[in-house]
Amino acid sequence: MVDRLFQKREFQIRMKKTLPYIIFVLLLCWHAVLFAQDRFPRPEFESGYVYATNQMPLQRAPGWEYFDVAVLLGALTLTTWLALKKRSRQGLIWMSVFSLAYFGFYREGCICAVGSVQNVALALFNDGYTIPLSALLFFMIPLLFALAYGRVFCAGVCPLGAIQELTGFQPVKLPKKIEAVLASVPFIYLALAVLFASTDSQFIICRYDPFIGIFRLDAPYTMIIFGILLLLAGIFVNRPYCRYLCPYGVLLNVFSRFAGKHLTITPAECTNCRLCEEVCPYDAIIPSDSELNREEPAKPRKRFILYFLLIPVFAVTGAAIFYTLAPSLAGVNSNVSLARAIRSEKESGIESVSKAVIAFKESGKTEAQLFAEEATITDRFRKSSPWAGVFLGISLGIGMLSLTIRSKRIEYLPDQGKCYSCGRCFKYCPIKVQ
Amino acid sequence: MKFDFSEKDITILKVVSQIAGGFALIVALTMIFSLVQLKTINPLDNPVLLSIKDQYDKDPGDASKAAMVRAMDLMARKAYFSSRWQVETGSYLLLGGAIIFILCQRLISDNEKRKPAFPGTKAEPVNIQKNSRRYLLVAATVISLTAISASFILRTTLPDPSGRSGFSSKANNNEKESAPKPDKSNYPFFRGQDSRGIAGGSGYPTEWDGISGKNIAWKTEVPQQGKSSPVIWDDKIFITGASGLNCEVYCIDKKTGALLWTGTASGIAGEPAELPKMDQEAGLSVSTVATNGTEICAVFANGNIICFNMEGKQKWAKNIGVPESNYGYSSSLIIYENILIVQYDSRTKNSVIGFDIETGEQKWETIRQGRPVWSSPVLGYFDGKAQVIINGNPNVVSYDALTGNELWSVECMTGDVAPSVAVNSKMVFAVTDYAKLAAIKPGTGASIAWEDNAYTPDVSSPVATDDYLFISTGNGDVACYNAEKGDTIWTHYFQDQFYASPVIADDLIYLIDRSGVMHIIEADSKFKLVAESPLGERVDCTPAFSDKKIYLRGKKYLYCISDN
Repeated sequence: MVDRLFQKREFQIRMKKTLPYIIFVLLLCWHAVLFAQDRFPRPEFESGYVYATNQMPLQRAPGWEYFDVAVLLGALTLTTWLALKKRSRQGLIWMSVFSLAYFGFYREGCICAVGSVQNVALALFNDGYTIPLSALLFFMIPLLFALAYGRVFCAGVCPLGAIQELTGFQPVKLPKKIEAVLASVPFIYLALAVLFASTDSQFIICRYDPFIGIFRLDAPYTMIIFGILLLLAGIFVNRPYCRYLCPYGVLLNVFSRFAGKHLTITPAECTNCRLCEEVCPYDAIIPSDSELNREEPAKPRKRFILYFLLIPVFAVTGAAIFYTLAPSLAGVNSNVSLARAIRSEKESGIESVSKAVIAFKESGKTEAQLFAEEATITDRFRKSSPWAGVFLGISLGIGMLSLTIRSKRIEYLPDQGKCYSCGRCFKYCPIKVQ
Repeated sequence: MKFDFSEKDITILKVVSQIAGGFALIVALTMIFSLVQLKTINPLDNPVLLSIKDQYDKDPGDASKAAMVRAMDLMARKAYFSSRWQVETGSYLLLGGAIIFILCQRLISDNEKRKPAFPGTKAEPVNIQKNSRRYLLVAATVISLTAISASFILRTTLPDPSGRSGFSSKANNNEKESAPKPDKSNYPFFRGQDSRGIAGGSGYPTEWDGISGKNIAWKTEVPQQGKSSPVIWDDKIFITGASGLNCEVYCIDKKTGALLWTGTASGIAGEPAELPKMDQEAGLSVSTVATNGTEICAVFANGNIICFNMEGKQKWAKNIGVPESNYGYSSSLIIYENILIVQYDSRTKNSVIGFDIETGEQKWETIRQGRPVWSSPVLGYFDGKAQVIINGNPNVVSYDALTGNELWSVECMTGDVAPSVAVNSKMVFAVTDYAKLAAIKPGTGASIAWEDNAYTPDVSSPVATDDYLFISTGNGDVACYNAEKGDTIWTHYFQDQFYASPVIADDLIYLIDRSGVMHIIEADSKFKLVAESPLGERVDCTPAFSDKKIYLRGKKYLYCISDN
């Protein structure tokens, strides 16, 4: 009888832990039908038949938009409680499943805090665009939570993080050198995303979102393949998108560093047992730093001053590099690329071949108008691009500067910038508080 | 989650996981390859299929070739859809492989009693910081160097916005062709230069009276009647006439109206012994001749084509087969460079043919789909290229003037199509009665910009400037449209029918009705009648303009109208 009860109890526990993953697999299977694109080319009727105008999906009613905001708030609050108070990794897994189902599969990845960076950039630099309040809230709320409690948004609310969290279970640590190179990519991605959005050229974060094709029923196959391969890679190199691509993560990283109350590895006093030292797949645990082997005070001070003085040098270098890149970067704008395609075809003396050029010729707009627009946009890129370089230069400078500062730590702490508050380290801490 | 697997089970899970992972990877690579194929290959661009299609176009009656075209087309489409199916199925397989791989890895991971490895010697924070700084600097240097290299590499691939690159100068050497300005003296084809209905020069008379002789410089009886219009080169007017089977080409002195020479266009090998079936009013001489200043070429409704030099010496002649149609044959000739372009319409075959004007050798022939029409070819200049544009049924089609290759086609006409197209620098306008008026944006992917069906001529061709389109109908209506947008700007009703095509000269539109009254209107956005001048003879032919004089063919006489 006791055995049966014991077995029943064990089965219940096992099911409780397994269920989130079963739901995750079902969600993936449900969305396996990804055929609604790349159809056979449309017939070109010569009878004058006019195709119906493409209709964009209807916008969500304002009431429902605010409902989404309320769900975001609720999910963040619950995640914060689960990570900071309850310290429940299993609870965070359930939050991931919920967020994946709601913000990922149900809301099809839109609206999304990650992409809202572009709405904000567009609104800041274009008078003609008014950012929807819901988009602004989606941008602000996770940052405010990061400022208060760390990256709880990444822990269980972001659908992009959730899908990776649920598939990452064989962590492999990358060599520090590779990690250093890859970790700089999100800064570049953020700089470019803001640059392209502010010049009204493209929303590259949305366009190249690797998981959006899985959330929706429509995406180029190449993006779906990229998404699935990223998930497969994420089994070993956990959360590859969050770590090496996510531009919003850069902002969360900065805000989270100042978090008033962050998740802790140990619920009480750290005994420096070092059991948690190697368990974080994101290398986000900072070991304690004793007084021993400290350098002479003059040396780090000199280093600090040197790197501090280097910040403007890095910024100017970044600005110069991006200024020279500006004409090439302007090619991302569809009008600029169209103008260049037309000029290339003219220079090589060939007839129009690309659909965009053919469509332009049918539009009735003159080449002179298009070339004038191209000049205006390129000029805008020349003015904006150096600021992207300045941002990257300053980021590099501050990063270097922070690596010259040492503070006395007597316990193992999460790196507040890098920690996703995923709670993987909880179970490795031998100290338990009832 | 945790299951108690034996070591053997774990080994099996690992093998299954590796197989599933490898399988998913292979499927992903295959899908990428298939996708590249799908994106780059157009199923209907198969060279074999195109070659058979070409052969079929040259011999449309060949049922075996038609069957081959259908079979090849079906095969090409099947191959395309097979690739599609492979990609679609692949996405299921990829997802399946990924799920199995993830599940196996999950089970393996959970079953392993993972204990945190007790770390070895604790790394010295100073060294960690030092290494991190080094890595960060190396990463920044690598990225910066890549960006600098990219900025130079990408710049060299950009087209030169100033237009001063090597390519640009090459392009400048191959300047795009544009429409030549109409000459003030020479009026070489039906409706003048390029057959567009626009005359060169200025100072043309607006008032005359054929009965009283006011402003009639001379009047000459054309030996044999015909519906063909006069064309002019230097001091010579060329016109045709026919009586029964006897076809002739006349050269008339532009200054005096004297007949300089008559060229016989009958007795050519292959011509029919009897008159072809046709409208009784038409006759064999409806098509207008064409000249390039060296040769003068004529075509007749019995299929005879003949070419003379300017002195009336025959250079070559041939019969291209009797064009069989309800009303007879009426397409006029045009010349582009050294190619004589003939629009051939018959129940048996519709085509456009290019002959070497020197020798009469056929250079090319392009089969035209659809039913016979009575329009004439027009030269238009779009995309920097001379194009022969034909108002056909059902397609308005453009052909390369040198090779005869079809450039674009728009299906928009029905019924009996007799008016030729009007062209300006941007658009082509096709119209016929009981169908519609269609403004076409020419070029690859040509499309209809706007349509109307309020004013549609049955015989008379429209004429267009860049701003306006003018139409004169068989009911006596004249309409002016906004050429770009299609708005009707003004209309006016005249009492008589228009068969002759309007011609714009010196910013005036010359419209002659069937009773012989010339209505002269300003070619502008407001209707303003400048003058109405009677000829005193019925007229169906389109006038010719040269050196401040107008040449009109009535039913019997050819007139020279001059203010002097």
